[in-house]
Amino acid sequence: MLLERERERYSRQILLFGEEGQERLKKAKVFIAGAGGLGCPIALYLAVAGIGEIRLVDRDTVDRTNLNRQVLHRESDLGELKARSAEAKLREANPDIRVEALAATIDETNVRDLVAGADLIVDAMDNFPTRYLLNREALRSGVPLIHGAIRGFDGQATTIIPGRTACLECIFPEAPPGEVFPVVGTTPGVIGLIQANEAIKYITGTGDLLLNRLLLWDGLSTTLETFAVERRPGCPACGGEVRP
Amino acid sequence: MKVRVKAFARFREILGSDLSIEVPDGATMAAVLAALRDRAGGEGDAIFDETGALRAHVILMRNGRRVNRNNLDTLAEGDEVAIFPPVAGG
Repeated sequence: MLLERERERYSRQILLFGEEGQERLKKAKVFIAGAGGLGCPIALYLAVAGIGEIRLVDRDTVDRTNLNRQVLHRESDLGELKARSAEAKLREANPDIRVEALAATIDETNVRDLVAGADLIVDAMDNFPTRYLLNREALRSGVPLIHGAIRGFDGQATTIIPGRTACLECIFPEAPPGEVFPVVGTTPGVIGLIQANEAIKYITGTGDLLLNRLLLWDGLSTTLETFAVERRPGCPACGGEVRP
Repeated sequence: MKVRVKAFARFREILGSDLSIEVPDGATMAAVLAALRDRAGGEGDAIFDETGALRAHVILMRNGRRVNRNNLDTLAEGDEVAIFPPVAGG
């Protein structure tokens, strides 16, 4: 049940998906991997949308070079754990939700525990090895994964439902080389909010998701395209077979 | 025949955003890649390796669907090929 102040807080979006949709958001538990350029807008918008429980994981501390894009962190947070800095801003933004922020490196030994109990995994990482790990855990646990990644003015996103859609390794069998990537804050802003929008739609059962579609954002020419992607036969992560 | 090629992200800066490439009738993806290799010239390192093969992480699409770089299907007049590198940052 929604509290009276929740009905008021969410009144404009209850117009869209009803109190039932809002209650679904309240019951939802979302795991956000990363509190950086993507993770900050994702977490903020999911918090104010009323996602009942957000688990946010990031191993880093706030550095001045982060501040052009990681919009939950401030000059006064320099040196603070990103998990703690983000947690404080999210609590302030919406005191009615539960926020669990952990300073940890996501690896093979803890990914299962970190994802446990989540209805949804949101990929806000900055590297493909950890993304592949999240993808494998999504496939193992059956929890959907919302992928996003950025560089410069460019970004990509897709929504993965284990057993139903192409998985991350079907679409990207090979990781691009690692680098210190150039980026302007608006790019993770755009892609992060597309991911948050996918999360809200998935939870409320609204609209059409980015299923078997890879979205490409080109901020320099202001174009957005989606391409069809398919399960890849023999995919080492998901086997490429469609579940009945 | 003409094939349209759209490049995204860094590849757009190297190849241009929207190209029309002339390939012989009956050509496959290999002919398009050879034309792109010529076009990229010295800047092609981001796209092709030292042997001239497409780098492993590069994504190719034909008419909105992902295809394998070794795909031997014959292209058709007006086909649209998209080429881009996945981005990895967050």
